[in-house]
Amino acid sequence: MTEVTLYHWEPNANSGKPMLALMEKGVPFASHYIDMLQFDQHKPEYLAINPQGTIPAMTHQGPLGTRVLTESTAIMEYVNAAFPGPDLMPADAQDRWRVRWWMKFMDQWLGPSFSMIGWSVFVGPMVRKRDPEELAAAIDRIPLPERRIAWRKAINGDFSASEMAESRRRVALGIARLEEELGKRDYVGSASYSLADINIFNSTYSLPLSQPDLASKDKTPNIMRWLKRVYERDAVKRTWAMGKTDLAARYSLVMEGIV
Amino acid sequence: MGAVLYHGEPNGASLTVLAALAESGLDIPCVRIDLLAGARHNLTGIAEPIALDLGIEGEGPVLVIGGEAMTESVFLAQYFDELAGGCGLQPADPYAHWDMLMWCRQITERLSPAAALLGNLASSQQGIAAIPADDFAALTASVVSDDLRARWQALHDDAIDAAQVADSHAKVDQAAARCEGKLADGREWLMGEFSIADLVTYGWLAGMEPIRPQAFVAAPLTCAWLARVAARPCVVSALALANCAEPLRSWAPGPEINRWG
Ligand SMILES: N[C@@H](CCC(=O)N[C@@H](CS)C(=O)NCC(=O)O)C(=O)O
Repeated sequence: MTEVTLYHWEPNANSGKPMLALMEKGVPFASHYIDMLQFDQHKPEYLAINPQGTIPAMTHQGPLGTRVLTESTAIMEYVNAAFPGPDLMPADAQDRWRVRWWMKFMDQWLGPSFSMIGWSVFVGPMVRKRDPEELAAAIDRIPLPERRIAWRKAINGDFSASEMAESRRRVALGIARLEEELGKRDYVGSASYSLADINIFNSTYSLPLSQPDLASKDKTPNIMRWLKRVYERDAVKRTWAMGKTDLAARYSLVMEGIV
Repeated sequence: MGAVLYHGEPNGASLTVLAALAESGLDIPCVRIDLLAGARHNLTGIAEPIALDLGIEGEGPVLVIGGEAMTESVFLAQYFDELAGGCGLQPADPYAHWDMLMWCRQITERLSPAAALLGNLASSQQGIAAIPADDFAALTASVVSDDLRARWQALHDDAIDAAQVADSHAKVDQAAARCEGKLADGREWLMGEFSIADLVTYGWLAGMEPIRPQAFVAAPLTCAWLARVAARPCVVSALALANCAEPLRSWAPGPEINRWG
C-alpha cells in the first residue's frame, strides 16, 4: 500500500516542489490531481484536507495515524527528513542557512510577483471565458480572503498598473540576483543539488519563454546552464511526465534548445 | 573568518536571534547597532550582501561570517542550533519539525509585519520623522531594497492608511488567539517542547501587550506563557543586552504586509 498521497496540479510552481522532492528521494506516492483551473482546490472534498484551499497538500499514513501536511517548501523539508534516499539539504550549517534563505526569498518575495504576472497573462484569460455566474459562485467559495481578491482581479484583468510594475521590478531584480548567485556556486546556495534548486527551478524553468528579455543564453548564461542541468535530472523527466496539460511538453522543447 | 552578530535592541527579530544564540552556548561576539540610525545599511567588510540587501524581515539582525551577511531570524536560530550540534531548539521528529516551521512562518508572515507596523507607529515614528532632512536622505539612500526604503519613507511621511492599521490589529488578535488555542491542552510551550517557535512568537508578540491590550483580554494562557518565556534564561540574558529601559517598546521598520495571500 502507498503511504503517501500528494494532492497537486501541474508539475509547476508550488505543486512541482513536493512532486520533485518525492521523485528525487524515490518515495512512491499516490497522485491526486487537482485541476486548479476548475477550482478543484476549493471543493469540499479538498477543503477537508486543506481548509486553506491551496495546493499542494500531502498525507502520510504511518503507525501513529495519518499526517496531513501543507505549504510546499515545508512539505519538501518533511519529505527530505522523513524518508531515506539522497539528502536534499547540504551538510554544512552555513550552506543550509543559504538554502533556506533562497527558498524564503522565492516563496515570499519573488514568487508572489511571478504569480501575479502568471495569473494576469495566463490563469485569468484561461478562466475568464466561462459563465460569469458560475465564476462568481466559484469565487465565493474561496476560503482565503486574499485569494478571493486575487482571483477576482485575475478574472477581471484588474491588477493595477502600480502592482504589476512592482511585480515586474521584482522579477527583473530577482533574475539578476539569481544569475549572480549561480555564477558563484553550481547550485542555488551550495555546491550540491538541494531543495533550493527544486524550489527555484519550479518557478523559473519557464523564464526563457515567458521573460525572454530578462532570461536568455546571452543575458543569463549561468541560469541557463543551471536550468539545463536540473532539467536533465531523471526525477525532473519523470515528474514532468505526470503533467496533464501541454505545459510541461511545451517547456521540454524550450529546455532542449536552451544551451 | 571571525563571526559577528550585529543586532538592534532585544525585541522582534533581534530578540529571537540573541536568545537563540544564548541557548546555543556558542561564543559569537555581539555588536549592538542603532537600527533607527540606519546602521544596518552601513556595515563594513561584507563581500556577499544579498541577504542583507534583499532580506524580507526588514531591520533584523545580521550575522556576518567570512564576509557573508546572513539574515532572517528563524534561519539564524536554526543555524545556531545546528552549529551547536543541536541545542534542542528544533524538534527531531520530522512532523513536529514541519509543525514548528509552519508555526514560525505564520508568525513571520502574518504577525511580524503587523506588529512591526503598530510598534513603529507607537514608538519610533516620531523619532524617524524628526531625523533632519539631509540625514534622512542619506539614510534612505543607503537602503538597497526599494520596498524596505518605501516602508521607512511611509513612516517618515506618516503615509500609513487606516485599513493597514485595522488589518494589523486583526492580525495581532489572531496571533494571540492562535497561541491561546495551541496552549489550551495545558502544554507549557507552543510546540510541547521549548523551541524556536516560542522565541519567534515571543519576539513579535510580547511588545504588543501595551499596544494592543484587547488581544490579550481573553488569552490568559497566552499571558502566562509570555511570562514563562520571559523567565527562560536565554531570554533573560538577551533582554539584559538592552541599552534602554523598555526594549520591548523598541521597533524599527519591519517586513512588508503580504501582497498575495
Ligand atoms: N504557500 C503555499 C501556497 C500554495 C498556493 O498558493 N498554490 C497555488 C498554486 S501554485 C494555488 O493553490 N492556487 C489556487 C488558489 O489560490 O485558488 C505553498 O507554498 O504551498
